[in-house]
Amino acid sequence: MARDGVVLEVEAVSKSFGALAALTDVSLAVREGEVFSVIGPNGAGKSTLFNVVSGLYAPSAGRVRLHGREITGLAPEAINRLGVAKTFQITNVFPEISVGENVRVAAQSRARESGRLASLWRRSDVDARVGELLGPFGLAAKRDELAENLAHGEQRYLEICLALATEPTLLLLDEPTAGMTPGETKDATRLIREVARRRGLTLLLIEHDMSVVMGISDRVAVLHFGEKIAEGPPDAIRNDPKVIEAYLGGGED
Amino acid sequence: MDYVVAVLAPQLLHGLVFGAALGLLALGLTVIFGLLGVMNFAHGELYMLGAYAGIAVIGWTHSFWAALVAAPLAVGLIGAVTEVATLRPMYRREPLYGLILTFGLALVFREGVRQIWGGDMRRILPPFTGSTPILGMTYPDYRLFLLAASSALLLAIWLFFTRTRAGIVVRAAVQDAEMLDGLGVDVRRVFTLTFAGSAALAALAGLLLAPVFTVYPQMGVEMILLAFIVVILGGMGSMGGSVVAAFVIGVAQSLFSLWMNPQRVAIAIFGIMIVVLIVRPRGFFGREGVLE
Amino acid sequence: MSRVVTWRAALVFAVLAALPGVPGISQYSLLLAFDALLFGAIAMSLDLLIGYTGLVSFGHAAFYGLGAYATAIVLERGVLSLWACLGAAVLVVGAYALVVSYFATARRGIYFALLTLIFAEVVYTFFRYTQTFGGSDGIQGLPDARLWPGAAIDTPLRKYYLVLTYLALAYAVCRLVVTSHFGRVLVAIRENEDRARFLGYSVQRYKMAICMISALLTGLAGAIYPMRSAFATPDLMLWTESGEFIISVMIGGLGTLVGPVIGGAFFTILRDKVSSYVDWYFIVIGVVLIVIVLFMPRGLLGFRRLLGFKQWRATA
Repeated sequence: MARDGVVLEVEAVSKSFGALAALTDVSLAVREGEVFSVIGPNGAGKSTLFNVVSGLYAPSAGRVRLHGREITGLAPEAINRLGVAKTFQITNVFPEISVGENVRVAAQSRARESGRLASLWRRSDVDARVGELLGPFGLAAKRDELAENLAHGEQRYLEICLALATEPTLLLLDEPTAGMTPGETKDATRLIREVARRRGLTLLLIEHDMSVVMGISDRVAVLHFGEKIAEGPPDAIRNDPKVIEAYLGGGED
Repeated sequence: MDYVVAVLAPQLLHGLVFGAALGLLALGLTVIFGLLGVMNFAHGELYMLGAYAGIAVIGWTHSFWAALVAAPLAVGLIGAVTEVATLRPMYRREPLYGLILTFGLALVFREGVRQIWGGDMRRILPPFTGSTPILGMTYPDYRLFLLAASSALLLAIWLFFTRTRAGIVVRAAVQDAEMLDGLGVDVRRVFTLTFAGSAALAALAGLLLAPVFTVYPQMGVEMILLAFIVVILGGMGSMGGSVVAAFVIGVAQSLFSLWMNPQRVAIAIFGIMIVVLIVRPRGFFGREGVLE
Repeated sequence: MSRVVTWRAALVFAVLAALPGVPGISQYSLLLAFDALLFGAIAMSLDLLIGYTGLVSFGHAAFYGLGAYATAIVLERGVLSLWACLGAAVLVVGAYALVVSYFATARRGIYFALLTLIFAEVVYTFFRYTQTFGGSDGIQGLPDARLWPGAAIDTPLRKYYLVLTYLALAYAVCRLVVTSHFGRVLVAIRENEDRARFLGYSVQRYKMAICMISALLTGLAGAIYPMRSAFATPDLMLWTESGEFIISVMIGGLGTLVGPVIGGAFFTILRDKVSSYVDWYFIVIGVVLIVIVLFMPRGLLGFRRLLGFKQWRATA
């Protein structure tokens, strides 16, 4: 049961690793259909936040809710099945099988027999869906290439295809344009926005590239040393003195 | 009270010594796995080779102390050669190949030793006999020496990993092997030295413990199985966890031997492992995160 | 062709079925062929774990030995039905495999190797030192099993056909599993276990399932063994036995079904010829393993390692 169209609710989440406090009392709410970016200097806790939301870590304190339903501490596969898909900052695909097979195995996870006894002998045909997913990202021609042979930018797209194949309602993108050239970044940004709009997805984004953040986001939150220091529309963030100080004062960008 | 003093306490001390040896082995496994990405099935054989190298050196020099220096060096050298010749090509492959390779290495070492020295049990005599009355019990001097030596060894290792630059780097790399790339060190040399170092330590443990147990080709197998249990309980990413678990298992093994025959002891230790895995699937100090 | 068997495989089975008709084939050769096919079947089921899923089981001999003991205990009591033996094996091996696979698959792949080894050692120790099961001598002097009263499996010829039938059925099961949705997920788990979880797959469940399938297939092979040897001993569960299974898979090549069968048969026949050199035997095994891993990861016999799903159809 979604409340006021809020898809993801992070409520006072803290996460410590031994003595290291990676996140302290972070709260945010992502509304349906919006593009919400999380930025901050290196070490601010952005990836940790993603890892808590996607189920890799259980928070030390606080709660996470998806469509009003509590997902705190659930396993990654359970959270994915509830509609959250994540891409990885460092490309994390299935290297020695083809692009098409990569997406196929991702799409299959939503097939009827998935996770059940019948999967031992049944095999659904997901070819059409694979084509639909690869097309917009220009990967259709590379369908039979081994994933590890793709160019860097194409691999980042494959990352996104894999996540999309699991039919999420919320997409977590961890630095999707990492390592891309400025030209690729622009294309990627446009593509992501288009795909998200067409599928009615809600996007939660970690980005370092300010042009991407400013150009694509509806709202932005800024983390610094594990705490949220600002939140608001991109223009407000750009001019926020606390944010400027955080970036200039100690963290690198 | 007499029982505690005369039987329990010495066995407890013995367990601590045994635990220290196990800890050395388990640390070696953890470091090699964290750094090189290979689970070294042959580690127990390196322990065993230490004892047999000791037998060889003692045969020539009639000096236990000479063996204590020469044997670990020899086995360290064997380790270095092995790493360069067989393990290096494995790093870029899937982990399962490294597993199978070291399994093969274990077979070769073990059976090779059997061919050269025969399969019977052998003894290495302790370098000194005699016992000392301590806290109301009589404790063999050599065992006291073992207690001191293993403590010193563990302390030295702890200092190495926390106070020396090399040690800190290796420890960090065990958690995250990729960080080495950014440091400008000769990664291959680090790997070889690390492997050789852990081989030498395993050999040292094997030789030190030899006068207390008997020496036979299978002695490494039993140690490695216990070391595996230690690593499972301690969690692969945690060096401190390995040492703690090693002492727990070492003491348990020692105490159980008072009351049960060897087979039951083995099953009891196994039972401890199962119970811990049920209660804390990640082990004592396992890292959080998917599938650790 | 169907997903259960290819033309090539059907041809091979036809040839194997005709083998006893070859003039000059002795009883000894038939029994050797029995061993070869049985070993091949075990290697094939082990490859489901190693080649397809990337999980190395160092304790497979325990499944094998438990199956043998199940049969031995049933036959010893005068229950001669083949079906009772197989049923007992399924129960015993299934229960053991359930426990092992649960613990062994809970964490990262490396723990699977360690835990299967440790569990197998415990099982070995238990049978070796428990007098009820014959201790180190095991259970000897077993009678022949029978299909139904009057149809005893008593001649080498019948035993041969028993194992051939088993191999054919095991192959069909493996092939079905490997070409299904399930099979694809296994390869994904092998390629990137963590990623598979984030795509919504309950990886542990899949690992447990394939471990149980592999274990049961091996256990059934173990159940058939005493019908040829007339005994079951703890040595069947030694880790060296597990090593021999692994070497068979490596000889044949990872990631195919036929490769390990041939690897297992090849290894069995080789072992038979070399068995007089018992002393050096284990060193040779160790060296062979090292050499294969270093220089011939595709297997001594060069069967192509499964690279991508493309090769499903090409792989027998």
